[in-house]
Amino acid sequence: MVRLRLVTALVWLLVMLALPLTAYAHGVIVDYMVDTTIKIVARYDTGEPMAGAQVVVYAPDDPAVPWLTGVCDEEGCFTFTPDASKPGIWVVQVRKAGHGGMVHIPVGESVAATTGVGGFSVLQIVLMSMCVIWGFVGTALYFSRRGA
Amino acid sequence: MHIPDGILPATVCAAGYAAAAPVTWYSVRRINQRENPRADIPKASLLTAAFFVVSWIHIPLPPTSVHLVLNGLLGVVLGYFAFPAILIGLFFQAVMFQHGGLTTLGVNAIIMGLPALVSYYIFRMRNILEKKSQLITGVFGFVAGFAAIGISVALFLVILLTNIPAELDVATERTAIYTLALAHLPLMVIEGVFTGLVAVFLQRVRPQLLDSI
Repeated sequence: MVRLRLVTALVWLLVMLALPLTAYAHGVIVDYMVDTTIKIVARYDTGEPMAGAQVVVYAPDDPAVPWLTGVCDEEGCFTFTPDASKPGIWVVQVRKAGHGGMVHIPVGESVAATTGVGGFSVLQIVLMSMCVIWGFVGTALYFSRRGA
Repeated sequence: MHIPDGILPATVCAAGYAAAAPVTWYSVRRINQRENPRADIPKASLLTAAFFVVSWIHIPLPPTSVHLVLNGLLGVVLGYFAFPAILIGLFFQAVMFQHGGLTTLGVNAIIMGLPALVSYYIFRMRNILEKKSQLITGVFGFVAGFAAIGISVALFLVILLTNIPAELDVATERTAIYTLALAHLPLMVIEGVFTGLVAVFLQRVRPQLLDSI
C-alpha cells in the first residue's frame, strides 16, 4: 500500500514536471519573406497632390490587362505590393481628368529599395524658362533689326 | 488643358497631327500673302514667349487649379501668326517641362490654336464698325478672350470624354473631367478681362499693332 502510494506520487511528480516541458516543447517556425511594397506619390507640377486620381497597375507579363486598379488618397499616395514571382518592369499609370502620368518601376531580385523622383526644382524651371525666353527675345530682336 | 502623353490612344494623337497640319499650312500661307511676312515676327516671338511661360501662373480654384492660357490674346494681337506661335510654344512646354506631350502636340495645338483663330475672327469684326472707341475695343477683346477659353474647354471636354479607357472607373473620371471643365469658367472671365485690357492698352499706346493684323 505504501509502495503503491509512492508510485502514485512519483507518477504525479513526473506528470507535474512533464507538463511545463510539454508546454514549451513545441517547435517554433518563423518563416520570412521579403515583400516589396511600392508607394506611389502623384502630384501636379505645382506640388498639389492628385487626390482621388485613379491608379492602374500593369504587371510585366501582361502590359495590356490591368493587374490592379485603385485610387490615390488625399495626399496623392497609393501603395501596393507587386507579385514577387513576376520580376520585370511594372507600369503604374495615374490619371485624373485627362491629366496623368506613367511610371516604370523595376521589380526583381537585383533591385533593392529604389526611389524615383520626377520633376524639376524651382531653380531648374526658372533657368530653363529664362533660356527659352531669351531664345524668343533674341528671335524678336533679330527680326526687328533695321533693314530686316 | 494640356493633354499629356499616354492619355489618348494613338489614333487620336495621329488625328490631332492630321488636323493641325492643314491649319498650320493655311496660317503660314496667309502670312506669306502679306506684303512683308517677316514684319510681325518680333511681335509673334515675344507673345510665344509669354504663352510659353504663362502656363506656370496657376490660379487656385478649389478643388482644383487652372493656369492662364492666353490663346485669345495671341489670336487678337497676332492674327494668323497665332496658330504657329501656339504650336511652337506647346512644343517647348512639352520638351522642357513635360507640360503636354510630343505625341499629343497636334491635339493640344488644335485645342488651343483653333480657338485663337476664332478669337482673331471675332476681334476682326470690330473693323465693321467705323468708330473704334476704347469701349468697343475692350468689349471685342473681352469676347475674344472669353470665347477662346470657352472653345478650348469644349474641345478638351469632348476629346477626353470620348476617350476614357475601359480599365478606369468611367463615372469617376467623367466627374473629374466635368469638375475641371467647370473650374475653367472663371478663367474665361479672367482671360476675357485681360485680353480686353491689353487690347485697350495697345489701342491707346500703339494702335497700329492692332490694325496691322
